[in-house]
This record gives sequence, C-alpha cells and structure tokens, in this order.
Amino acid sequence: MERTVTVEPEAGLHARPASKLVQTANRFDADVSIGRADDGDDGLVRADSMLSVSGLNVEHGESVRVVAEGSDAEAALDAVCDLLTSPVEEGAEGEAAGESDTDGGGPDAEDA
Amino acid sequence: MRTLDGVGSTPRSGVGTARWYRPEADLTLPDRPAPESVDVDTELARYESARDAVREALREARDRTAERVGEEEAAVFEAHEGFLDDPTIIEDVEAAIRDGTPAPHAVADRFGEAVAQFEGMEGRMAERADDLRDVRDRLLRALLGADGGEGGQAVTDLAALPDGTVLLAERLTPSDTATLDPDAVAGIATIEGGRTSHAAIIARSLAIPAVVGVGAELDSVADGETVLVDGEAGKVVVDPDEDLRAAAREAGPEAIRDRVETIDGRSVEVATNVGGEAELAPAAERGADGIGLFRTEFLFVDREAPPTEDEQYEAVTAALSAFSDDRVVVRTLDVGGDKPVPYLDLPDEPNPFLGRRGIRLSLDEHADLFETQLRALLRAAATEDGDGLAVMFPLVTRVEEVERAVARVEAVADDLTSEGVDHAVPELGAMVETPAAAFLADALAERLDFLSVGTNDLAQYVMAADRGNDAVADYHDPLHPAVLRALDRTTAAVEGTDAWVGMCGEMAGDPALTELLVGLGFDELSMSAVTVPDVKRRVREVDADAARSLAADALACETRSEVLDVLGLDDRAA
Repeated sequence: MERTVTVEPEAGLHARPASKLVQTANRFDADVSIGRADDGDDGLVRADSMLSVSGLNVEHGESVRVVAEGSDAEAALDAVCDLLTSPVEEGAEGEAAGESDTDGGGPDAEDA
Repeated sequence: MRTLDGVGSTPRSGVGTARWYRPEADLTLPDRPAPESVDVDTELARYESARDAVREALREARDRTAERVGEEEAAVFEAHEGFLDDPTIIEDVEAAIRDGTPAPHAVADRFGEAVAQFEGMEGRMAERADDLRDVRDRLLRALLGADGGEGGQAVTDLAALPDGTVLLAERLTPSDTATLDPDAVAGIATIEGGRTSHAAIIARSLAIPAVVGVGAELDSVADGETVLVDGEAGKVVVDPDEDLRAAAREAGPEAIRDRVETIDGRSVEVATNVGGEAELAPAAERGADGIGLFRTEFLFVDREAPPTEDEQYEAVTAALSAFSDDRVVVRTLDVGGDKPVPYLDLPDEPNPFLGRRGIRLSLDEHADLFETQLRALLRAAATEDGDGLAVMFPLVTRVEEVERAVARVEAVADDLTSEGVDHAVPELGAMVETPAAAFLADALAERLDFLSVGTNDLAQYVMAADRGNDAVADYHDPLHPAVLRALDRTTAAVEGTDAWVGMCGEMAGDPALTELLVGLGFDELSMSAVTVPDVKRRVREVDADAARSLAADALACETRSEVLDVLGLDDRAA
C-alpha cells in the first residue's frame, strides 16, 4: 500500500525530522520506502536508512510518496505519514551555534 | 613562563597537565593486510561490539546534553545514532569484511563514500557530512582502541582523562565536550572557536575553565607541560609561576553560601537558572540565593501529552524545598513554533520568533494548559516553603496581556477556593525580552511585583539579529548601547516603586559585567549555577556609587567599542 503526502516540517527531511522518520520506519514490521512523488519507483529509497533519507534532500512543501509492505504496513504508513504532515520546527536543528535556548535551552544561556 | 592570548569562555581558572586531543592523528589506520589473512568472524564481531560501544556513548551524550544544555542541542546525537545503525551501511561494511577487509578499513571506506556523497553540497547537506565524519571517527576510535594499539596509535578516551588534565585541541565538537568529565578536566584551550560556539556553551555549563580561539600558537604547547587556563582573562599560561598557580587554585569554585552585598551595603541577590530537577542540588551547592528562572519547558518535552497538574505541582514544590529560604521564580510555559513539542500543535510559522509564542499562546490557544499550570503553581504557593514562590510570564509586549494574565490567576484562585483546595497567590512578574516591554516597563511594574530581563532575547529583538544565526553574531551582543539603554529604561522605571527588577541571562553570569549591572540598578542577577560563586565574589568588590557612574558612562556611549572601552574589556568575540 502507498500514500502521497506533502512534507510539512520546516526543516524538510533533514536533521531531526529525518531521524524521527528513520526511527519510526524501524519500529514496525514492514518494509517502508520513500521518494519524491514525481520520481516514480526508481526514486524510492529505504525509509529505515538515515543515509538514504538524508540523501533525498527533500525540503518543506515537497510531495513525497510512501510505500509500505508487510504485516504492519498500514500502521507503519499511518505513523510515517503522520510525521511527514506534522510541522516540526526549524529550531530543532540542533547544531547551529547558540540558538534556541529560549526554550528548554542551556542552563547557561539565558533565557528567554 | 609564557602567555598565549585567546577568548575567555568559562570565567574560571584551572591548572593542569597539557594533553593534546588530535582525533585525526589518533585514527591512522594500520596497513591493509592480505584478504586471506583476515579472520572474518573476528572482524564481524569487532564491528558489532564497536557499534554497541558507540551507541552507548551516543545515548549518554544525548542524555547528558539534554539535561545540561537542552533537548534541541541533544537531537544531533539521535541523527548520529541513525547513521551508526543505518542498515545499508551495515550491509555494505559486513559484505566488505566477508571479502577480507578488516573492520576499521571497511568502516573507513564505507563512511568515506557516504561523506563524499554529501561533501561539497550546501547548508544542511554539508552538515550531514560532518555528522558522518563524527560517527566514523567514533567507530574508528572504538575499533582501534579495542585493538590495544597494535596497529593504531593510543587513542584518547575523552570520558576517561586523568585528573588534572588541561585538554588542548584544534577544536572540540559539542559531542566531544559533552563527553568530558568535569571533575577530571582542569581546563580546555582550543585553537579555533568563539565564546558563543556550541562547545563553549557546553563547557560553561560543565563549569570547565575554557579559553577558545587561541590560534596556531597553541601548537607550541607540548603534551605534559604545566598549563594554566584563565577563562576570565582569556589567557593560556604555559609553565606558570607559583604565584599564578596559587591564585588559580584560590579562584576555584568555592561557594559563598551567604547573601552578598556591595562594599557600601547594597544587597544583590545572586540566583540561578534551572532547566531540570537534576540541576537543583548542584545549584544549591554552589551557593545560589534561590532560582531566578525556573524553566518549565522540561516538563513538556519528550512525551506524548502535557504534564498533569499534580506532576507540575510536584516539580515546583521540589524546587521550593531545595531553596526553602529563598525565592523561586517560575516562568510559565514558553514555547513557540520553533519548539519540538508535537502534541502542543504549535503553528507552522515563517518567523516563529515573531509569531505565536510565550504568553500569547497561554492566553489563547493554550488557555487550558495555562490554567492547569496556574492551578499547580497556586497550590504550590500554599505549601510550607511556598511563600518564596514567584511566577513570571514570558514575551510580554502589551499591558492588556498582563491584565489578562493577572485576571486568569484570580479566576483560578476563585476556582480553587470554591473547590476547597489550599492555595495562595504568589508574586507575579513579567519578563522583559522585547523593546515593547522595556518601553512599557513603568506600566508593567505598576501592575506586577517584579520584572526580569531576558537578555538574549532582548538583544535579539532590539538588534533585529537572530540569536541562532552566526552571520549576525556581532549584532547579537548585549553590550551594544541600544541594548544597554533598553536595560536602563527598564530599571529606571522600577526605581522608587515597590517592584523589584532582575535579570536572567548569560549577561547576568558574566563577572566582568557585574559592576555595570549593579550600577544599572538590578536587584537580582540569575545565571547558570557555575558562575554563581564568581559573581558573588565580584559583587563584594563593587562600590555601588562607582558602579552607578560606570553605568552612566556606558549609557552615554554610542558604539559597542566605546562601551568596551568604558568597561575596560578587550574586544571579545561577540
């Protein structure tokens, strides 16, 4: 089974959204693959591979196709598509310097 | 004795034995043996146990960073784990081993290809190359270390450095830094890096003296030399004389338990910022006079649903009992569209720092969460240690917001009364993080018990410079005259009223700025626990009158460099 959805996370399929996707794909007894909607079957890569998912370089707003097979295919598809269609924020890109302490941030970084 | 100049990062000194950390040099691979001489089963097992060790280290680094720095900074380690356990990489590495390649070479080859795939690309894709290198190096270190140094050189295990080590490196990654044992590492000095780099921030939160950006001269220091790292002056002294060593030892992290006042008797509360329960005991040990910023966000992240009223009550009462004689200022939920809290259904906004966040959400979209939080807080205020409780609202820009928030508090108090639940109304305050709040400080102070300035955000909004964007890092500095004048506007508005004014922010924890802040009229300074002893010591040296005239001179400045001149500070990495 398969579904086509628009990628909502502002960070696209990078950093945190990418690792969440891979973690989710790994959680189910199903083979999940993902690719750009326009790229056809040749564009599909394994959704349980961080390397493959990052390599797609999918940005916010792009349309992607998710294919799942196996006993948990439906649940896997639901979970993955849920993730792809929930806006997760840019600030979650952990590496950039000093940012983002507004939130739960550094003990030292002030705040707020 | 010779002295190298850098940029002071953690304002503290330490003396120890120099030890270079050169991850690249450590990772020289032995020569490739003939394929038929490779024991495939041994190499496969070696690869698997190296992955186990690295996975464990990544999870530790993740948890440690989440606790000490923040969830967002910790997320990078999850991505690293994704690459470590990537099934396509594992399949390829195992296939190469079966073809007679030793595990380290198979790992280096496969990760080399993966790095090449991302290298030379822009932005986020280039960051993936860095991630892959980081994971590869960790794996190689685990593999070569396990080999007993037979082929590779001795490997530096950052988590197990001998006591009294001064770690020298070209640069440290955030993951390197989070791995360090603060009890063993007497100091850090790096060739590259700035005061606001991620690694520097983590070093400060671990209380490790650090000087960054020393430059290539640091190469002249040899392993085994005695080195003093003076994080306050931004100097690295090689082979320091006995006086300097003694001074460094004296300036150690000894806590001052008592409250402090200036030479002429003005009392200044030196409090701490807390972002998790694990930080309470260490903060108390360092002599903090209470909590000036208790972030409640940690209660909301990494879970599927918001915390219950009882959970929040427990967390707040735990903070109150850790500081039973002191004030504990709790900030109500401060989130916005840049925060990873999926169940909060935060809006997807093009510019979340100028969007729905802080008190704006609490008064409308998140009114239910706000009510639950206020119920927990009002109940906590009625407990034995509850009279020290104070509650502040984030990102206030309008007087009406304060009026509505106070009305919410009163409504919750009425509800609790009619339910027969014990409660009390704590002190109420607003954060001053926006130019709007600074301009309206008099009107806010009239309606509240206190104001507390969040300097990182205030600098961001006054200077129109994203605090997360390195390209505008030189704008994002609280020592710009415009920011100082916003601080002055705030403190002047409170002077002569019953309200008090504090500051919670990185600026508050910098002992080099204590005199200025006392002069500006702050009653309370709240900071990372690590700097509490240094700032307390500094307050005792300040003369309040002299401080006032210093502040007046700084406020008269028109540029940041004039401000630095007035304060007698070298131009630090902004």
